[in-house]
Amino acid sequence: MTDNIKCECGHLNHVGTVLCESCGKPLADDDGQGLLEMRYDGVARRSQKANPNVLDRIWNFFSSVKVAVYLIVITLVLASLGTILRQENTFYNPALTDMEKFYREEYGLFGQIYYSLGLSNMYESWWFRGLLLMIGTSLVICSLDRVLPLYRALSKQKIRKHLSFITRQRVALQTELDPSAGPADAWLERFAAALRARRYKVHMEDGALLAEKNRFSRWGPYINHIGLIIFLLATLLRTLLPGWSMEEDISFIEGETKAIAGTPYYLKIDKFVEEFYTEEDLHESMREKGVGMPKRFEAEATLYACLEEPCGQPGTLEELARHQIIINEPLKYDNLAIYLFYYEPTDQIVWMNLTLEERDTRKPLGQFELDMFNPAPVMQAGEYEIRVTDFFPEFIIRDGAPATKSREPRNPGVVLNIAGPGTPPEGYRYLFVPKLGIMEELEDDSYRLKAEPEGNFYLSLASVDDVRLAHYKTYLSVRSHEGMWMIWLGAAIFMIGVVMGFYWQHRRIWVRLDGQSLALGAHTNKNWMSLRREVADALTRSGMEADQKDLDNEVKRS
Amino acid sequence: MKKNKKIIQFAILLAVVVVGALTISDSLSGRSYNPPAAGDKAPDFTVKGLDGSTYRLSDFAGKTVVLNFWGSFCEPCVREMPLLQGVYEKHKDNNVVVLGSNLDEKLLTVQSFVERTGVTFPILLDHTDIQKKYGVIYYPTTFVIDPSGKVKYKKIGEITDARELERFF
Amino acid sequence: MIVQISNNALVIALTLYVLSFILFVIGVVGKKWSNRDPEAHVRRYSRTAFILACAGLASQLVFFGTRWSYTGHLPISNMFEFLSTLGMMVAIAFTVIYLIYRSPLLGMFATPVVVILIGYAAVFPWEAQPLIPALQSIWLYLHVSLAAIGEAFFAIGFAAGLMYLMRTVNFKEARWARRGVEFTVLSVLMVVGFIFIVFFFRGMGYEAQFATVETVRDEAGNELEMPSTVTYTLPPIAAPHDSEVMYMDSFLGMDKPLFETPGWMKGVNAGRKFNTVIWSVISGLILYGLLRLIARRPLGAAIQPALTDINPDDLDEISYRSIAIGFPIFTLGALIFAMIWAQAAWGRFWGWDPKEVWALIVWLFYSAYLHLRLSRGWLGAGSAWLAVIGFVIVMFTLVGVNLIIAGLHSYAGV
Repeated sequence: MTDNIKCECGHLNHVGTVLCESCGKPLADDDGQGLLEMRYDGVARRSQKANPNVLDRIWNFFSSVKVAVYLIVITLVLASLGTILRQENTFYNPALTDMEKFYREEYGLFGQIYYSLGLSNMYESWWFRGLLLMIGTSLVICSLDRVLPLYRALSKQKIRKHLSFITRQRVALQTELDPSAGPADAWLERFAAALRARRYKVHMEDGALLAEKNRFSRWGPYINHIGLIIFLLATLLRTLLPGWSMEEDISFIEGETKAIAGTPYYLKIDKFVEEFYTEEDLHESMREKGVGMPKRFEAEATLYACLEEPCGQPGTLEELARHQIIINEPLKYDNLAIYLFYYEPTDQIVWMNLTLEERDTRKPLGQFELDMFNPAPVMQAGEYEIRVTDFFPEFIIRDGAPATKSREPRNPGVVLNIAGPGTPPEGYRYLFVPKLGIMEELEDDSYRLKAEPEGNFYLSLASVDDVRLAHYKTYLSVRSHEGMWMIWLGAAIFMIGVVMGFYWQHRRIWVRLDGQSLALGAHTNKNWMSLRREVADALTRSGMEADQKDLDNEVKRS
Repeated sequence: MKKNKKIIQFAILLAVVVVGALTISDSLSGRSYNPPAAGDKAPDFTVKGLDGSTYRLSDFAGKTVVLNFWGSFCEPCVREMPLLQGVYEKHKDNNVVVLGSNLDEKLLTVQSFVERTGVTFPILLDHTDIQKKYGVIYYPTTFVIDPSGKVKYKKIGEITDARELERFF
Repeated sequence: MIVQISNNALVIALTLYVLSFILFVIGVVGKKWSNRDPEAHVRRYSRTAFILACAGLASQLVFFGTRWSYTGHLPISNMFEFLSTLGMMVAIAFTVIYLIYRSPLLGMFATPVVVILIGYAAVFPWEAQPLIPALQSIWLYLHVSLAAIGEAFFAIGFAAGLMYLMRTVNFKEARWARRGVEFTVLSVLMVVGFIFIVFFFRGMGYEAQFATVETVRDEAGNELEMPSTVTYTLPPIAAPHDSEVMYMDSFLGMDKPLFETPGWMKGVNAGRKFNTVIWSVISGLILYGLLRLIARRPLGAAIQPALTDINPDDLDEISYRSIAIGFPIFTLGALIFAMIWAQAAWGRFWGWDPKEVWALIVWLFYSAYLHLRLSRGWLGAGSAWLAVIGFVIVMFTLVGVNLIIAGLHSYAGV
């Protein structure tokens, strides 16, 4: 315990204490005249010690407000540089793999320099993240370094302060009480009452007074720092922990069901609705252009869990949630949220209820449902058994044989085997392409059209209701909400701290009576003019005329 | 009191270092993804095959793997199938296996295609997992992976001559 | 009918604000002219000026309310609506601060900010459009309106900061400080000049049209060139890159563009925006030059005598107080509600896109300001400079990011 300073009042203070923790007398070397440095009430901060070792040096570095400001400024300058050219991650083209070439070609020499300096992928780079980490560290260390001593100082305040402590405050007054106005104690009581009326907590001792209000406001900055720390930690966790920041983009045609990779869920989009504003809703300038403005678009979405493999066939899925997804309202389930971000018109067949007919007579033989997304392998139409043996989403002829151009069911074609009364056991093989109106028999072993068809079948639709078309292709994004509560918690705590700190001020008034001599000092963390007015007002109420200008010690001392 | 302070300070700085290391290594490990090219380690995968069994790349350690990405809609893929089948049959006793990975086509389509073309090497039913890992955009794309799990060859486009692959066996 | 009333209410509001400004100026500057008691003079004129400002605010509230009612949404959905609402918020913030501090000088500096903001807003199309689905969210209202209120307080902080500088800078000796103040005044004049120029040429019905080519990239990354026309409403000093004049109204004998916009400025509208910027700079310089000729010394120095009666420390406090009030509101509106909305609409609360980054830059800047105020050396002139620069950054975020960085579209054909 050798690192202590003893004050003339008898109290032992830590090394680095500026004002005695007990009586407030200035301990440091000074000229005895200027205004007191009241920061943190003059207590020693953790970091101020003799002989700092490496650990101390690092700690001191991060506990400095100057360093913190430098970090903030460097961050904001660098962040601004990242907005000059588009960042790499805003290009969605998966074929774009050579970024260096792209930046050079698109933006010239400037682009090349931009890329090589690493500015084109700045916000996820290790150095930018490192910068944010340093700010986080600074938040933790700056706060710890100050809040504990400050708490100690503010909770153990003495009422009777040293004279020089009071007279060297920024708001101060020294005067003699008028004996004819009554005893000094009585005046003190009146003053205390005036202050209590202004919601001060007043403590009195023999001939001394301490009035304090809104101490809670001092904790504001520390609370908002805690909020920021939680926020930053949450963003870190979301980046590092697997599954916490999932991002899957999937496209759906109306009526389609697809698996969501990385989850046990399946999603189906039933119908997509697009509504435009009417002519009257739009203003002239838009009407002239003839451009429509969408009023509303929503996708009817259902989320399923898989009950048994293979999933997709009816009966294998269990419905979990249903929602009309619009752009500002995703489907939420558990920790997942599914967002609609894009759509485009299309024209595809989703489902058909087909009537099997005799080709020549058009006599109906039976009906069966053909699901274009997941055709059931075997279907029954009357007495006939229909097997789907091949499926071409976008039917074309290649090298004289049926093939598909892509995976999109823009022009579906199926190869069907129709077996039943009047057919050989293995049935007749047909190629059915509804959009092209093809219903032709194929050779058994190859996919060539049979020169002399033997079968006598045809497929048709009984009514318009027997076909379901998809008019829209929707693009949805599945994201994880894991850990988001922590982000909002951090933000909320930040707001509380910042409101506490900025919308209230911590004020204290000290009075010391030595016989008829009155010394008054007051301090606040901000808003001095208001404090002066308040003190002047209270003085006036207690019977002493005073103006806020008289209390301005800064003018007198400087 | 002093000792407590020291411990707390040390603990906080240690936490900062750990978090820092995690953050920076995460950044460096490339969230910005680079598809594997010749010389890189081939990413492992787990996927179901057409025959119903589960396939893992690591199951084939010690063997040379020809990983071919195809689709029934892709003409060159269809054209090179006989060649791949030929390579499979010729070398399957030489510790070489050919895997065909199909992205997200209907089971029906894949089955029928396999029957018609008569390929016997394992067909994997991928639902974007392997495709993403290997950065496959164009079809066909073929990788040759050596017994130690490293990519020796990546070809985008049709394989026209079996020797293109055989030189890596 | 209601649209007429609404728009007229805004024009009336603007007129009242301008009158208020004039009266504040007369009150402050003219107190030595008349033979009457200067104190009474100031008091009388300021009182009337403040009443006029309040009347202007009332009229603008009428505009705001009627527009809200006939469009069905809060008037913050496009550039015109947002900027005029921001002007209104500055007027409200000014009213609050004025009632606390009763400073007629603040009135002299704050009312022009309101006038300029609304004037600038008026440049953009006034028509009310219904909201596209992406904007149909309560978060839009909360985010934009709170951000505007926060920025309004920053604007007052700017005005008080500028006043501090004009009050304390020694224009004869401090070269850099003098230049900084003059540059700030010049920048403000460029905005004023821009407003005048736009309305002048619009009044004349000026138009020039160019045929050019627009490069569009499709999803496969292929570049397609499509023919496109660009219309200028200001005489083309800089024509669009690689374009042909279709027709051009003549102005002051100029019937051909002076030069072509360089190709490194991307986007089919780059030429038009560049031309607008050139015109703003020219008009600002002309205004500045004229005022300097009349004043015969740096403009800051010309205004300085009017400010002698105010205590610089009080200005420092007003500036700080405004920013301290505005900072939490700005954080809540521009950052937190924006994040909540982004999460609800896109599933990611922060994506580092330019608008988001610049909002963060504003936030970081003002946090640096608030932290620097802990050290005595930064009180006074340092804080004043930061308050001025901060608001410039705010205006860049609102205007510049849309114009230059986003680059793909501008809010209006200017």
